[in-house]
Amino acid sequence: MGYEALDFYDVDSLLTDEERMIRDAVRDWVDESVIPKIENACREGVFLDEWRQELGGMGILGAPLKGYGCPGLSYTAYGVICRELERGDSGIRSFASVQGSLAMYPIWDFGSEEQKEKYLPKMASGELIGCFGLTEPDYGSNPGDMVTKAEEDDDHYILNGAKMWITNGTIADLAVVWAKLDGVIRGFIVEKGDEGFSAPEMKGKHSLKASVTSELVFQDCKIPKDRILPGVKGLRGPFSCLNNARFGISWGAVGAAQSCFDSARSYAMSRIQFDHPIAAYQLVQNKLAWMLREITKAQLLAYHLGVKKDSGEWVPEHISLAKMNNVDIALEIARVARDIHGANGILDEYPVMRHMANLESVKTYEGTHDIHNLILGRHITGIQAFTREA
Amino acid sequence: MKVAVLIKQVPDTTARISISGGLVDEGSISKWTISPYDEYALEAALKLQSESGAKVVAITLGPQRSSKSLIDAAAVGADELMHVLYEGDTGSLSLQSALAAAVRKSEADIVLAGKQAADTNSGSTAPGVAQMLGLPCVGLVSEVKVVDGNFVATRSTSSGMERVSVNGPCVFAFDKGDEELRRPNVRGIMMAKKKPIESLSPADLGVSMEDGGVNVESVGYPPEKPAGQTFQGAASASEVVTKLREEANVI
Repeated sequence: MGYEALDFYDVDSLLTDEERMIRDAVRDWVDESVIPKIENACREGVFLDEWRQELGGMGILGAPLKGYGCPGLSYTAYGVICRELERGDSGIRSFASVQGSLAMYPIWDFGSEEQKEKYLPKMASGELIGCFGLTEPDYGSNPGDMVTKAEEDDDHYILNGAKMWITNGTIADLAVVWAKLDGVIRGFIVEKGDEGFSAPEMKGKHSLKASVTSELVFQDCKIPKDRILPGVKGLRGPFSCLNNARFGISWGAVGAAQSCFDSARSYAMSRIQFDHPIAAYQLVQNKLAWMLREITKAQLLAYHLGVKKDSGEWVPEHISLAKMNNVDIALEIARVARDIHGANGILDEYPVMRHMANLESVKTYEGTHDIHNLILGRHITGIQAFTREA
Repeated sequence: MKVAVLIKQVPDTTARISISGGLVDEGSISKWTISPYDEYALEAALKLQSESGAKVVAITLGPQRSSKSLIDAAAVGADELMHVLYEGDTGSLSLQSALAAAVRKSEADIVLAGKQAADTNSGSTAPGVAQMLGLPCVGLVSEVKVVDGNFVATRSTSSGMERVSVNGPCVFAFDKGDEELRRPNVRGIMMAKKKPIESLSPADLGVSMEDGGVNVESVGYPPEKPAGQTFQGAASASEVVTKLREEANVI
C-alpha cells in the first residue's frame, strides 16, 4: 500500500490547483527517489548528488522568490513543498530550506543586481549549492554577539572566525556569511576556493544523517569588495532569512508527522497480538487518535500561516508559534509512533526512528523551542527574557 | 507533424476500489491518474516533439474530472488539449467513435495510446480507433521514431524485439517502454494552468453515444483466495510435491 497522507479535515482542498499539482509532483518524486534510497544514504552519511540535480530539475528551489530564474510560487506552495520533502526526510527538506530561504533569499532581497544575476539562476537550477553561516561554536541562540569579523583591506575584505552547524557547508559552492564589519553585522558571499576558507564536515551525528553539516573556517579569508550584501545591516538580515526558513519548517514538520502516522496506522492494523491487531486495543487507538488530532491542528496552523505570509499580514511571532508547535508535536508523534511499532520501531525498515532522530535537530535549529517560547513571551508581556541585561 | 495521444483518467493503481450495485463506486476513489500505459504513449509523443519537432495534442474522453489528466499532460509538455466531455456510461464502440472523431478534428498524423487502460483492461481502444479511422494499428510498442520520413516502432515479441516501419498515418498502442517518464516541473505546472482546453461534446463531433457496442454489465471482486495450507515434517514432503504438481501446477 502506498503512502496515504493524513488529511482529516481535507485541508488540502484549500490549496489552488497548481499547489496540489506541485504537491503531487513532489510527493511522487519522494516516493521514487527518496524513500528507496534514504536509509542507505543515512547509513553512509551522505546527501545524494542526484537529489540536488532532481530538486533543481523540478524547479522548486527558492520556491517563493520571483525573477532571476526563480520559481515565483506562493509561500503556501513553498510550504507544501517542504511538507512533502520532509515526509521523506528532514535532511532533504533542510537542503531545500537552506538553499532557498537561507542562501538564495538574502541574495535576492539584499544583494546587488550583479550578485542576483550571477548566483540566483544557477542556485534555482541546483547547479550551485549555497549555505548560510550565522551560528558560531559559542553563539547559537545569541547570534548578536558573534565574533566572526570582516576588515577592509584595500580592495578586499578579510574575514576571520568560524561558523558551526552549517547545513550544506562542505558541499556548498558559496556561503552567505554573517560577520561584523566595524561592529555591525553584514552579509558576505564567500565562494568555495576563496583563499583562507575551508568547510570541514562534522561527523558523528545521530540525526539528519543524510544531510551534510559542517564548520566554516575563515583564516584571513580574502574576498573581493563586491561580495558584501549591500542591502542590509544588523541582525535584521539573518533574521529575515530565518523567518522564511522557519515558515517552511512549520510545514515540513507536518510531513514528518504524517509519515510517522501513516506507518503507525498500518503497523497497528497488521500487527497481531493476543489474536487481534493491536489497532483493536483502546490504548493504541487512543495514541492514533491523539496523533490525528495534533496533525490536524498543525495542518491548519501551517495553512493559515501560509495565507498570512502570502497576504503579507504576518509578524515573526506567528512563525515562531507554528515552528515551535509543529516541530514539538511532530517529535512527540514520532516517539509515540516508535512506541506503537514496538521493537520493530527501532529498525530502518520503518521511517519512524529516523524521523524521531531528525526532529530532535529540527526542534533545536532555526530558533530553539525555548527561544520561540521567549519570543512569544515577549510578545505577550512586552518584556524580553532572553537576557538578564535590559 | 502532429501526434495525438489518447489519455484515459483512471483510479490510481494504489487507490482502494469499492463496488456498489455492480459498478465501481467512483465517489469512493481518492485519487485519479493518467492510465500508466497512456503515460508511456505520452512520453513517446513528447520525445517525437523534442526530436522531430512534432506538435502533441492530448485527447481525453470522460467526465469533467478527467480534464485534470489533460492539465497533467500539459504540465509535461503537451501543446494542445482536447476534452470530449461525456458524463454518462457507454460501450466501447461509442467511445472509439467519439475518440476517432476527435483525432480527425485534431488533424493529427499519427495516434499514440496505451495498449489497455488500467481500470477496464479491455485493450480495445487503440485498434478500435484505428479501425474507424481506416488506419493500420501497431500494438505492444515501446518506442516510435521518425526515420527517413517513416515511423519506425520497436515492439516486443515472444522471441525478442521487432522493429517495424510504417510509411503513413498509423495508430500505435504502447506497452511499458524503456524510457523513464518525465516528471512535471514547476514551470510546466504554471504554464499548464494557462493552456486552453478545447471542450467538445460527442454531439459537437457528430457522434451518438447510444450505440455502445460492448457494454460492461457489472463488475465484481476477484474470488477470495482460499486459506493457505501448512505442512510440517519430512513425512509430508510427498504430499506437498503432489499438490505442487497437480493443484498448483508449478513443478
